[in-house]
Amino acid sequence: MLKRLFLLAVLAAIAGLGIFWWLTIPAVVGASSLPIYTPNLANGLTAFNAGGCSSCHAVPNQPDRLKLGGGLPIPSPFGTFNVPNISSDPNDGIGRWSEADFVTAMLKGTSPSGFHYFPAFPYASYEHAKVEDIRDLFAYLKTLAPVAGKARDHDVPFPFNIRRNVGVWKFLFTDGKPFTPDASKSAQWNRGAYLVNSLGHCAECHSPRNFLGGIIDAQRFAGGPNPEGEGWVPNITQKRMSDWSAKDFAYFLESGMTPEGDTAGGSMARVIRNTSQLSPEDRTAMAEYLKSLPPVEGPPRPKKPEKS
Amino acid sequence: MKRVLVVAGALLLSVGAVMAQQDVVKKDQDVMKATGRALGGVLSPMFKGEKPYDQAAVDGAIKTLEDTAKNLPTMFPASTKGLKADGDYSASPKIWEDKAGFDAKIADFAKAVSDAKAKIKDADTLKANFPGIGKACGGCHETYRVKNS
Repeated sequence: MLKRLFLLAVLAAIAGLGIFWWLTIPAVVGASSLPIYTPNLANGLTAFNAGGCSSCHAVPNQPDRLKLGGGLPIPSPFGTFNVPNISSDPNDGIGRWSEADFVTAMLKGTSPSGFHYFPAFPYASYEHAKVEDIRDLFAYLKTLAPVAGKARDHDVPFPFNIRRNVGVWKFLFTDGKPFTPDASKSAQWNRGAYLVNSLGHCAECHSPRNFLGGIIDAQRFAGGPNPEGEGWVPNITQKRMSDWSAKDFAYFLESGMTPEGDTAGGSMARVIRNTSQLSPEDRTAMAEYLKSLPPVEGPPRPKKPEKS
Repeated sequence: MKRVLVVAGALLLSVGAVMAQQDVVKKDQDVMKATGRALGGVLSPMFKGEKPYDQAAVDGAIKTLEDTAKNLPTMFPASTKGLKADGDYSASPKIWEDKAGFDAKIADFAKAVSDAKAKIKDADTLKANFPGIGKACGGCHETYRVKNS
């Protein structure tokens, strides 16, 4: 009887491991699935600016946002991520990557050697981008100068350092679906929705996350505690932004200046440095979409400690 | 007894000093708010075309910005390091840890303001020269202002 129970337990464990293994196989986009295509470099530049690549991948503390040698440390509740080199350097950057490697990284969050990237790389948003935009972006990145030097390894403690576990995270928090336009809305609104939710990855910071680090869908864009440290990331739904016009949003994305005359600081200053390079049409589209976000109450902000 | 008095006096003095420093922080915030009003209340709406160009209003706003630029080098004495301000933001300790970097940023702002003063004469020159001011604000806020918890 006991022996049989033991056998059953062993079988269940093996089956469980099998399911875990199957569930967490890193997904890959094969080169053969990419049709022949001539990339559009101008659109690649747009994708680069909309995607905010340089916000994280530019070498910190120097003015050139096209120097993509990485190295910025991103603190999080799960450890510190050190942003990798995505310059065209063949040894330290992505100079030897195939186009399929790049598409796989952006849309599936899988590295060329077949491991899961940590979701600090916002593929949960990038996965909604059009393959053509990603291919244009790859062509554009190749035109930028190589930067030598590798970033240090991520400083992520057990159990989060087990890459295979990220496969479970992906199962829970990504859907692998491309952006689907809403036919009842204008082309401009859809362009904005696309930019904000895919390449722009606004929700990655402006949404609260659960204890596994997944975005809480019901409170998307409703702000939350700053994952990088102190303070609060603002709610950008109409709950808090109702006195901003669509024009105010567009102007903020262009200049970093709020209607009150304040200017974005912290990591948003880096975001503005990218969005300010977009076309006015794209900023207006993003603004129209953001202005349309229904009011959503975010997580309660802790009361300020009483002053002594 | 004398010693008690000295200790009490010293304590009182230091309490007074902390209060005075908190007043400095409060004054810094007032300067920043006035700056914001000059930008968001006067110059931005003209830049966006929501209000007509008005030279007198522009002159007034630029005067406010000049005052800010003049104040900035002395607004953050080392004694205020680590003090939290009311509201959403405080000064980052980096102001004092990287003094040279901070000084370069506030010099950028002063330059943007004096450029604006020299060049802004009408709606077109406002369009050309206003964004530089915002860039200087953001350039400093990026590193030297932090969110309050």
